[in-house]
Amino acid sequence: MSKYYLFQDTRTCIGCHACEIQCKSNKNLPRGAKPCQIIQVGPKMINGLPKMSFIFMPCYHCEDPWCVSTCPTGAMQKRSSDGIVFVDKELCVGCKTCISACPWGAPQWNPETGKVEKCDYCKDRLDAGLKPACVTLCTTGCLTFGLAEDMTQTRRVRHAEASASFENSSF
Amino acid sequence: MAICPVRNTLIYLSDLILSGSLTDPKARRICEQILHLTEEISEGAAGKDHLLAIDSLIREYLTAADSKKNLETGKTLEEMFSGHREVFESHIQTRNCPSHDCGKLAPSPCQMACPAGIDIPTYLTLIARGEDAKAIEVIRRDNPFPWVCGLICTRPCEMMCVRSRIDTPVSIKFLKAFAAERAMSEGAYKNPKKKEWNGKKVCVIGAGPGGLTAAYYLSLLGYGVKIIEALPVSGGMIMVGIPRYRLPREVIDREVALIEDLGVEISYNTRFGRDITYEDLKNEGVDAFFIAIGAHKALDLGIKGEKIFPKVLEAIGFLKDVALGNHHAPGKQVVVIGGGNVAIDAARTALRLGAEKVSIAYRRSKNQMPADSEEVEQAMEEGIEFSFLTIPKEILGKDGTITGLDCIKAELIQKEGSDRLMPVPIPGGDFIIEADVVISAIGQYVDDTGMEAFSQMNWTRRGTIEVNHASMETAMPGVFAAGDAVSGPATVIEAIGSGKRAAEAIDRYLSHIPQPRTPKIPVRHHMEPPVEMTATRKMTLKHPTMPMLNVDRRRTTFQQVELGYDEEGVRKEAGRCLRCDICRRCGKCIEVCRDKMGIDALQFGYMDFDHPTETDFRATEKKCITCGACAANCENKAMVLEEKDGRRNLKLCGTLLNSQAIQYCEACGAFLPSAEYLDFVARKTGDKAKRAETRLLCNDCLRLLSAKTNVETRPAGLK
Repeated sequence: MSKYYLFQDTRTCIGCHACEIQCKSNKNLPRGAKPCQIIQVGPKMINGLPKMSFIFMPCYHCEDPWCVSTCPTGAMQKRSSDGIVFVDKELCVGCKTCISACPWGAPQWNPETGKVEKCDYCKDRLDAGLKPACVTLCTTGCLTFGLAEDMTQTRRVRHAEASASFENSSF
Repeated sequence: MAICPVRNTLIYLSDLILSGSLTDPKARRICEQILHLTEEISEGAAGKDHLLAIDSLIREYLTAADSKKNLETGKTLEEMFSGHREVFESHIQTRNCPSHDCGKLAPSPCQMACPAGIDIPTYLTLIARGEDAKAIEVIRRDNPFPWVCGLICTRPCEMMCVRSRIDTPVSIKFLKAFAAERAMSEGAYKNPKKKEWNGKKVCVIGAGPGGLTAAYYLSLLGYGVKIIEALPVSGGMIMVGIPRYRLPREVIDREVALIEDLGVEISYNTRFGRDITYEDLKNEGVDAFFIAIGAHKALDLGIKGEKIFPKVLEAIGFLKDVALGNHHAPGKQVVVIGGGNVAIDAARTALRLGAEKVSIAYRRSKNQMPADSEEVEQAMEEGIEFSFLTIPKEILGKDGTITGLDCIKAELIQKEGSDRLMPVPIPGGDFIIEADVVISAIGQYVDDTGMEAFSQMNWTRRGTIEVNHASMETAMPGVFAAGDAVSGPATVIEAIGSGKRAAEAIDRYLSHIPQPRTPKIPVRHHMEPPVEMTATRKMTLKHPTMPMLNVDRRRTTFQQVELGYDEEGVRKEAGRCLRCDICRRCGKCIEVCRDKMGIDALQFGYMDFDHPTETDFRATEKKCITCGACAANCENKAMVLEEKDGRRNLKLCGTLLNSQAIQYCEACGAFLPSAEYLDFVARKTGDKAKRAETRLLCNDCLRLLSAKTNVETRPAGLK
């Protein structure tokens, strides 16, 4: 895995798709290619109420990515410094084997360039000291990005707050 | 040569957008729009409003520019479009990139080789589909004589034909003749619509291929054209130089009649300077002159006896006499001196008139003959004797009657500073060829009698008219010249090409538009979709053999020797065209498949110009996994991967290279790659890929599935 962690607080996400738009305009992508995507699950009836979730689906930057091992040209790579999986556009010939290999549907097809696009956590932005585009303008602030070791804290705090919620607890 | 300004602008704009330096959304939008329009110019898809739209976008950009950097970018863009305005305009008008940087616009090698620049791949495709009249229409945009050229062209196009690197060149020449004959017979061979008379008059001197071509294009442009012709027939050298067994008179008559239908007036038996003068024509209101008088005077042999005997003929005069109706045999034993097409024509004509023995004496050997090899072969079949390495020394005879030609045997020596082998006499190698007629066919030059009126015109040292080759303009304003009169004895297609150039230049001159500085590059009028066929058919279509008249009839009559392919042969032959106007043979597909993918399914040896190796379109399906990387990297869309009727088909210019069954997403039914392709992926991921999900799913469904799993596995207690 990469040394980063991108956390989505599904409780606060309203499915506005601003992350997708930021991602696409940052990478200047045409219709179709979505390196990150909000997938709507539901609505389902839960305790008599319709509920639905919006799940943020970027690339998981696997430890041993199938897309990298399947790529015949060496275009799909894992950055050794931080484990980000990315496509070198110069080397990509558009054979789409990575698309077929990935079990998560992360690599995307760009019909205009005839090459593959994928989430690289906006590594150029990271290198410039910025956050990934999707995180930057998230309307509800449900997306947070950071080093994996720092992100566990966010999760803990969130869980603690949920457990201590007044209307939903023993208080 | 510097890179094409259109291409350069494209690179600048895409780099600018990709660099991310355009932080202002409006600036970025404008640049993207300009890039889009420039792409269309580069692809030949632009209209006349494109440049105007770009101008106004640049103005918008400059008004909106809020930083010094943006202002500079705007200024750079403005310079790019204004500094090379004419190049952008020519890309739009001619759909052509002279420096070949804009890949999609490059004409095919055959079209580049044709002196008239005919759009060959387009008309071959039309003929393959059986659309003969449309093919003729395409040819006549560049050449008003498709039928004539279909029978006698020297076909420089076939020399360049890429198909010859696979097997034999496409029979480009004859296919035209078939289409013309068929269209003519069906009454579908028609003139395009001409413009209204614009009140201007042009006088063309000489009704040969050059003159008639200029007359055709000028009258289409709305000029009144009058042709002055010294002979009683039209066609010039194609009528009086080329014998009837190669080009029937009716073919010339029909194509000339179409030009006359446009209102072109031809005055026969009228020699310029004798029967009509420059002043007469000026008084008639002629605004411009076009000189296409050809090269009708024969060079002297310069040997003893040449001036003594009446039976020493010059080939050009002899052929003219025969063409005009004198069908008496020149003698019993004829010797023709020379090795060009005129020598062969004279010899074969003499034979047909009843000469008992005809031989050709040539200084070099067979391989060095400038004549068409087919012509030489046919002459040999008819029984013409060839005496190679033979230098004529003296014409022998007495009392005005020739008895023979005294010759010396020669050997070929490589001389320094010359790329042609020189014949050098072997001492003591004298021999005599018995003959009662000697015909010299060693070259022609321009007859300048009567041209004195064009006093300001310059002549070259070779006795030809000096012109600017881009515009065919002479030094005398309003006087243009083309054809053999400018080039010296050359080919019909060159005369047609230069006649067309002259017509355009005369139009510019009379419309007060400055002349171009470099000759125009051939124009691709449009791109026909290629003919679809299987790889096996593309590889196995064979060049048909030309059916010939039997030799006895060839030795005795002037009937057409080459009888022409039948319809089936013609359609098949046209289908052999590789469509080099679409595929530029850059070899990127091969490179991607072999070096990047490691598959090496494309065996297109012909694409390597310098070292062609074996080509077999049928070999593709053995290894190809229809991944489409070749198609994704083909900038001309010559290689296409299409999904149709449950199959993934890979096609190169219409040739079906491979076809594999499509698989479908088991959840939503979306198209998935072929099984061969998924095998390739599975081999690459190896044992790593042990999936929980065994269904075959598309990209979108995989994402949906993992999102659902995400929800289901969320820790309890969270709302």
